[in-house]
Amino acid sequence: MTSETTDAELFRALRRTWENVDPVPVDLVDRMVAAVATADLSREYALLTLVEGEARAAVRGDADMLTLQFSDGRTNVLVHVTATESGGHRIDGWVDGAAHTVELTQDAGTLIAEVTDGRFAFDDVPSGVTSLRVGLESAVEPGGSAELRTPRFEL
Amino acid sequence: MGIMSDVEPPPLREPEGEGDTPLSDADGSGIWERAAGHFARWRDGDTRAMDDLVRLLSPVLWHVVRAYGLDTMLAEDVVQTTWLTLVRRHDSIQEPRAVAGWLTTTARREAWRAGRAQQNARPAEPVDLEPHLPPEDSAEQIAHVNDRDRRLWGAIGGLDERCQRLLRIVAFEERPDYARIAADLAMPVGSIGPTRQRCLGKLRTALEADGWRGDTRDL
Repeated sequence: MTSETTDAELFRALRRTWENVDPVPVDLVDRMVAAVATADLSREYALLTLVEGEARAAVRGDADMLTLQFSDGRTNVLVHVTATESGGHRIDGWVDGAAHTVELTQDAGTLIAEVTDGRFAFDDVPSGVTSLRVGLESAVEPGGSAELRTPRFEL
Repeated sequence: MGIMSDVEPPPLREPEGEGDTPLSDADGSGIWERAAGHFARWRDGDTRAMDDLVRLLSPVLWHVVRAYGLDTMLAEDVVQTTWLTLVRRHDSIQEPRAVAGWLTTTARREAWRAGRAQQNARPAEPVDLEPHLPPEDSAEQIAHVNDRDRRLWGAIGGLDERCQRLLRIVAFEERPDYARIAADLAMPVGSIGPTRQRCLGKLRTALEADGWRGDTRDL
């Protein structure tokens, strides 16, 4: 007979099961290495949190409007998405911090919009997984983040 | 206030034959030791050592973050934020051997924060129940592993959410920071140890109800 299974053996089996049932995404490690390698070490980043809105509510068909609000507790970003006639999406956004540019990133590429009086817009954005990087005037808040990232959301 | 300033780093564990979660390789050196080595080399100016550290611990961070029920995209964002936070706050880590505990604590804190926001926005997606197995396994091995994982997964699924989270964190972390976990789960810190045992007990009971006879080889 075998001896009774120890807690450590139980945890080892649990680990294996989680590794098999909910595996690390295939390219996650490579993406993390790339993200760390390309991080401008002189800059500060903060991940905004979705405060309000349904990030998975795809803007298509009759659901042609989507509003998302992100915040890190200091800066708020409001994003309003509407469908365009061409089947793409128009994004109107507002930032209440001292932002200069907003960069919109999808797998297909990156778009950049200037921020004027706290407002920015992207006229025609294709569907896909999207994230925004908000570049802040770093001098305004010493010690604060110079760049804010939203979690990715789906258009 | 620094992000870690109100949390003590997790205590370091001396190498031992059998700890709670001996994540070790065939060569006997645990990944926590190697993490400390990579981190020390990176701080000494070897930029490639950070790549090694990221490769080594990203999978651990993934499982820790997923214990908080975040969907896959948000979980990945949290893992990335954890690494970028390390890059800019590494000065706050005095002792290289504390780096793994610092990373998992940071990841849990960020996951907890993001998870609360996500809960308000939408329910978490269910985990894909089909085990993903390496293709090189033989058909017999796949059948066997499938069976074992399915049985264990079924038993895990029968536990309450608090048990599931606690067991997953403990399974993947070196020496979990019980004070922080207690805060996350809204539990007194002194009850984490007993709760852990209670959760393990429930898991054993569920496995036995499913026909398990206590043999480690059947797990």
